[in-house]
Amino acid sequence: MTSPPTPRTRPPTGRRAVDAAAPSWWLRHQRALAPYVFISPFYLLYGLFLLVPIGVGLYLSCTEWAGLGTPRWVGLRNYQDLMTDSSFWTSVRNTSLYVVFTMCVVVPAALLIAQALNARGLRGRDMFRLAYFMPVVISPIVVALVFGLIFDNEFGLVNGLLEAAFGFGGVDWLGDPAWARVTVVILVLWRWTGYLTIFFLAGLQNVPKELYEAAAIDGAGPVRRFWEVTLPSLRPVTAFVAVTVLISTAQIFEEPFLLTQGGPGESTLSVAMFIFRAGFQRQQLGYAAAAGVLLFLVVFIFGLLAMRALKVGREQ
Amino acid sequence: MADLGSVSRRALLRGGTGLGLGLLAAPALAGCGPASSTPVDSGPVDISLWTHDPGYITTFETAVAETALMRGSRFDFGVDITNAAPSDVVTRMIAQAVADGDTPDLAGIVIDQFPRVMVPGIAEHLFTDLTETVEPFGDDLLKLAPYTVDGVPYGLDSDNSITVYYYRQDLFEEHGVPEDIETWEELAEHGERLNVDSRISLGMVATGDNGSIVNGFLQFLLQRGGGVFDEHGEIMLQSAEAVEVLDFMARGVSSGFLLALPDPYGSACAAALKSGRLAATAMPNWYNAYGLQANVPDQAGRWRMRTLPRFSGGGHIASTMGGTAFTVLKGKARSTAALELLRRVYLTREGQLLRYRSGGYLPTLRSLYEDPELRSIEDEFLGQRVFDVYRRATDDLPLFHQDAGMQILTDVLGGPVLDALKGRTSPAAAIEDGLSAYRQQVKR
Repeated sequence: MTSPPTPRTRPPTGRRAVDAAAPSWWLRHQRALAPYVFISPFYLLYGLFLLVPIGVGLYLSCTEWAGLGTPRWVGLRNYQDLMTDSSFWTSVRNTSLYVVFTMCVVVPAALLIAQALNARGLRGRDMFRLAYFMPVVISPIVVALVFGLIFDNEFGLVNGLLEAAFGFGGVDWLGDPAWARVTVVILVLWRWTGYLTIFFLAGLQNVPKELYEAAAIDGAGPVRRFWEVTLPSLRPVTAFVAVTVLISTAQIFEEPFLLTQGGPGESTLSVAMFIFRAGFQRQQLGYAAAAGVLLFLVVFIFGLLAMRALKVGREQ
Repeated sequence: MADLGSVSRRALLRGGTGLGLGLLAAPALAGCGPASSTPVDSGPVDISLWTHDPGYITTFETAVAETALMRGSRFDFGVDITNAAPSDVVTRMIAQAVADGDTPDLAGIVIDQFPRVMVPGIAEHLFTDLTETVEPFGDDLLKLAPYTVDGVPYGLDSDNSITVYYYRQDLFEEHGVPEDIETWEELAEHGERLNVDSRISLGMVATGDNGSIVNGFLQFLLQRGGGVFDEHGEIMLQSAEAVEVLDFMARGVSSGFLLALPDPYGSACAAALKSGRLAATAMPNWYNAYGLQANVPDQAGRWRMRTLPRFSGGGHIASTMGGTAFTVLKGKARSTAALELLRRVYLTREGQLLRYRSGGYLPTLRSLYEDPELRSIEDEFLGQRVFDVYRRATDDLPLFHQDAGMQILTDVLGGPVLDALKGRTSPAAAIEDGLSAYRQQVKR
């Protein structure tokens, strides 16, 4: 008589026996849940770093909070106060001016410069590109110092030149409210035109040459070719530039902050500076959050309208 | 002993991964939590110090190494320095406090940032009450007022920030301006003449950002005997003195006696100093190093200083502008040690002398202005015994009080004051406009 063969491993007992008998919950749902697990990192990060801050911002906007202790719920009072705050409306007017100027002057200027840089046979093309792009990479602190000296009332280069050329040089560029706004928009023009030029230049280099040749054969001159060939071909690039410029200029901070700190008085104060001032100079964090929510809504709505008007991301 | 044979390879790997992640996360999580709060009562201690000014870094590093200053202390001090911009010191400190994170033990807060912590609920929660620490010094300790909230002092200033009158002695002699002139009004007459004859101004006003504009105005206003807030935090700007001072400044700008510059430190001011266009200015003691020596080192020996000319209507022979208070964060393991360090460096004769030697910070103990060692110091740039001037000024120094609303007042007053300086509005209307905007905004 032979004994039965000894199993090589012991039969599972206890919990492992149950596991062997019925597949675990994870094994049963693995196939259905796996895709969600794979995409979960994005949603976790999106929720943690975007949705949560937005939610906290909305909550803070309905509170009064100096930074320490428990925020005190005030409902919509911060929004009501904003509606009657003359400083806030000053900042809205100034920001609107910056946006309109950027859209109407900086964007067209960038397009024209790109057109010039794209011309055939242009000598020193790379030098021009470098020169136009340089303002973007120069430290804002250096820019503020240099512009402060250039536009100084008493010792400034601009007033010196005006004095030498025309016999008058008493323009108070940084001390007069109207001229201070002009100085800020000049800085915006100088700083961002070259950057936007790069986008238009990339777009221009993708316009098929055949279109220009066909237009020339049809008798179109340079101006007609620009209007009939260049502009329609650049429409996607123009739309992208216009929308991004609109959104970024609505949040303008650096230029007025560095050049005039929002002054003289509040004449160059932007909405982003207003928010910074309320939050980090006056410790009115709830009030700053309310202004931030309003800025977000306005930028979102105008950005959406601009995208629809310019048909960004839609098939031609 | 556990039966390792029953553990599958997958379970082992999972366990290992979990353990590894746990070990990695532990220090990170520990770093995010608050530091140990077991009080340090003696022995070696590294005081965490946040400041904006490299001068304070030198001061504290020198102080902890000074045997005589630290003699008898039960602590063996070291300092762990964090250098940040003035506004960032406050912003990050509050952010760390909210997150229950690692706040500094000692924080240097610039005077114009201090109103941020005067908002209800911040200073009393963050800082150690210094009442008992300063009590023995009584009136001998100067400049507590700007850092007092509801009667409780929370900071000790590093510098007395005495405003004096710096002037180019050579140009005064050349153009016949008496060095010992009595009043601003007399000086203004000479200034007007000098501007017409030689385009030279005998003072400056700031026309740049709101902070500079209001500080310049406030400096004259304090000297005249006015102020912006009283000791209870009530606004007191609507005064005859305020209108008179602004009118004096506006007329000075109009006549050329006072030169309008964006700020007293920038490139335009440097150009004015270098060219001799600006031959004098009323600025605090620290302007000697940060303004004159920094911009016109080649003019050493030509500049002198004296107490301010008086306003004929009354007031003081000195004023004050600027300062940085050091506060002790409360409820921390090293709070006692930090307070001990601050007391030794800021409230002893040896500490105050060390601060003057290491960073040029004027003593905040009135009695030290009679100290023979300080009285004998001759400033190399000015070529005179400066404490002869500072001693007289300290005896007649106005008090500066501020309040949580100071930042708002600065924002809303800057524009109207500038308008008055440029002749776009009257001084009285400018003060009224600023006050009206302040009341509207502070009501919120």
